[in-house]
Amino acid sequence: MANVLWLQGGACSGNTISFLNAEEPTVVDLITDFGINVLWHPSLGLQLGDEVQQLLHDCVNGKVPVDILVYEGSVVNAPNGTGEWNRFAGRPMKDWLTELSKIAGFVVAVGDCATYGGIPAMEPNPSESLGVQFLKRNKGGFLGADYVSQAGLPVINIPGCPSHPDWISQILVAVATGRVGDLTLDEFHRPQTFFRSFTQTGCTRNMHFSYKATTQDFGQRTGCLFYDMGCRGPMTHSSCNRILWNRVSSKTRAGMPCLGCTEPEFPFHDLKPGTVFKTQTVMGVPKELPAGINKKDYALMTVVSKDASPSWAGEDFFTV
Amino acid sequence: MAVQKLEISPVGRVEGDLDVRVDIEDGQVVNAWTKAELFRGFEVILKGKDPQAGLIVTPRICGICGASHLTSASWALDTAWGTEVPRNAILARNLGQLVETIQSHPRHFYALYAIDLTNKKYKNSPFYEEACKRFSAFTGTSYELAITTSAKPVELYALFGGQWPHSSYMVPGGVMCAPTLTDITRGWGIMEYFRTNWLEPVWLGCSLERYEEIQTYEDFLEWLDESPNHANSDLGFYWRMGLDIGLDKYGGGPGRYLTWGYLPHEDKYQHPTIEGRNAAVIMKGGVYDSFTDMHHMVDHTFARENTSHAWYEEGTADVHPFDRTTQPKHINTNDYEGKYSWSTAVSHKDLGRMEVGSLARQLVAGGKHGESWQHYDGLILDMFKKMGGPSIHLREFARMHESVKLYREVERCLREFKLNDPWYIKPTEKDGRGWGGTEASRGALCHWVEVEKGKIKNYQVIAPTTWNVGPRDGNHTRGPIEEALVGIPIEDTSNPVEVGHVARSFDSCLVCTVHAHDAKTGKELARFRTN
Repeated sequence: MANVLWLQGGACSGNTISFLNAEEPTVVDLITDFGINVLWHPSLGLQLGDEVQQLLHDCVNGKVPVDILVYEGSVVNAPNGTGEWNRFAGRPMKDWLTELSKIAGFVVAVGDCATYGGIPAMEPNPSESLGVQFLKRNKGGFLGADYVSQAGLPVINIPGCPSHPDWISQILVAVATGRVGDLTLDEFHRPQTFFRSFTQTGCTRNMHFSYKATTQDFGQRTGCLFYDMGCRGPMTHSSCNRILWNRVSSKTRAGMPCLGCTEPEFPFHDLKPGTVFKTQTVMGVPKELPAGINKKDYALMTVVSKDASPSWAGEDFFTV
Repeated sequence: MAVQKLEISPVGRVEGDLDVRVDIEDGQVVNAWTKAELFRGFEVILKGKDPQAGLIVTPRICGICGASHLTSASWALDTAWGTEVPRNAILARNLGQLVETIQSHPRHFYALYAIDLTNKKYKNSPFYEEACKRFSAFTGTSYELAITTSAKPVELYALFGGQWPHSSYMVPGGVMCAPTLTDITRGWGIMEYFRTNWLEPVWLGCSLERYEEIQTYEDFLEWLDESPNHANSDLGFYWRMGLDIGLDKYGGGPGRYLTWGYLPHEDKYQHPTIEGRNAAVIMKGGVYDSFTDMHHMVDHTFARENTSHAWYEEGTADVHPFDRTTQPKHINTNDYEGKYSWSTAVSHKDLGRMEVGSLARQLVAGGKHGESWQHYDGLILDMFKKMGGPSIHLREFARMHESVKLYREVERCLREFKLNDPWYIKPTEKDGRGWGGTEASRGALCHWVEVEKGKIKNYQVIAPTTWNVGPRDGNHTRGPIEEALVGIPIEDTSNPVEVGHVARSFDSCLVCTVHAHDAKTGKELARFRTN
């Protein structure tokens, strides 16, 4: 039996709602079959008012063990580091987080807001938001670079806007069932099992990428979204095209450019004018190239690919 | 009576961060204050950004209503840029919104609302044991089925938008996708699964066709008695238990209701303008005023926000959203005479404070105003009048009643797609002002955008909960939930489930914190009555 306490700071509930879509295992399976005991959750918890406050105090005082603290949403520090712009149960949410992080067995940050600060922390960051242990690419965040939980691990980050439900439920099960030794975390504390390969891995438009056949515009059944539409699939670490969303598709499969939401820089370029759904180029060459390739080789590959491009690459490929 | 001080902090099972303070006298709430307790400043973040930034940012305002934000953001830019939107794209946008709402209804009912029927307060009700069996969190027989089956409709969203929540597949000029025959066919299959595994057997206990025959309150009661399948379906059971425990007796609200209308018709809104929208939406907009029993037309120019009691430094006048500047007050101390919430007070400039949400939509759907071809449904208005006005019970029923209608509209969208026709017409970006309105599952949602020199000059959002949970306005008039809390009974101050019922029946997109105090004045405050 593992006690899970789930709190939300500067959150949109998107990760909670995504989590409810989990199928293998489902949220209900987690509770009924995998020995996870949800102490409280803002959308699912039964208790209200004093009962919740008492529970939180009991957790802080060690009367009720918190095996896993799940934090969704950014850590709001405004105004002036007080956290008063996000009060919960009568006090700044960040104060609860400070105290609970000291007693939690593991701390799991779900979603971009909790991992890197996310959209609330976007320039000019009016809520003075931080991620739990990062701000964008910089380690530290709210709890500090040296933070480790009672189990000796730093904050386990499950990024994504939102996180895929399987990323959340499978990591919770792994931790709750004693498989945490199998987790390998990368430099951003992401479990490598989900975040080593690229979003592009498994994309149905990979052949178009290979032949440098671009999607000319939205609403097309052909072409790769990387060259002109701002897709970040080749540079983004996620398993979106391996495990699929809602069991059926992914953004790139449906024709939407990957926004790179599992990377610390999301939203990229702070959404400055001219950067949304448009590949940033210099002299026709993308400023950001697929991971691991240099400019010279990319240019060479481009010439060869274009020359070799078959006729179907420009046609309605996933045809009616 | 001894002065009691009671704090409920938080209520939970509403989305977001909200405090409510209520004054109680002789077991009854005589005054109430609702407080939103989280400020992230999306309007501030959007200033100076790419005109299309709203398509990425605004769905992240709310992970529950992301499709509604996306559709508002898209239509707002469509009107600002003067785009042409092909009919396939209108259908694809509507479909996204429809399945999001169809997903939301059971999740709201089972995960957020019906759990309270297992509260110990109702242990003497003859329905209690069965309620615990069906509705208990995680283990209830209906709970588990509803949570898992409600994940099905949004699979359609993923087929069109790649994922749910948080896709940005709707863009000015259309949509990013171009589904194929297999996507449409899979979509049919997914919806059929939802209908045959939950909507008909569990929720209704009958076919959609039988349910659709219900036109009046009497029809509904006849349906209830017609078959044990009806009486014992989750709807039938909930209806009977709700009356037994008195959920039809309180939680009324302001008595005036607003919806902007939604679901533009695929053949009537291909050249979107702000002015042309009212006559082009399938679910018509309007206001229902229960005090005069009249329906009125509305458009966005009627919207006003007031920050007299909100933590903003923007004066005390009612302003239209285009004129707002979003200046958060630095120190947000609680002052119940002064400022006490991050929510603004929203009103209709002539008719005042309004409730929004399913009840509002259904009361407006019963009006004879609007275009002859627009959707009409008189059931909820009939029940409203015959049951003596609004209540928690009717509000909840109105929400679930929509499921069947929206399901039918999904079927229509799937039939109407012409897969070889365009999905996107590239627009020309330009400066200007735009407005996009729609209905999230929990009520009226609007975005206002002003683009100047190729970037966002001002972006303003009024979400459903802004209407419902707003604080007092410049005239000290209470907000809708504040009003709905006044007059409710509190049987046991250590178990104030009644406050939870009210907040949850509005499906407020906030996490509630309730501070309750006994009133010292002894003065009975005015209380809303419908007749």
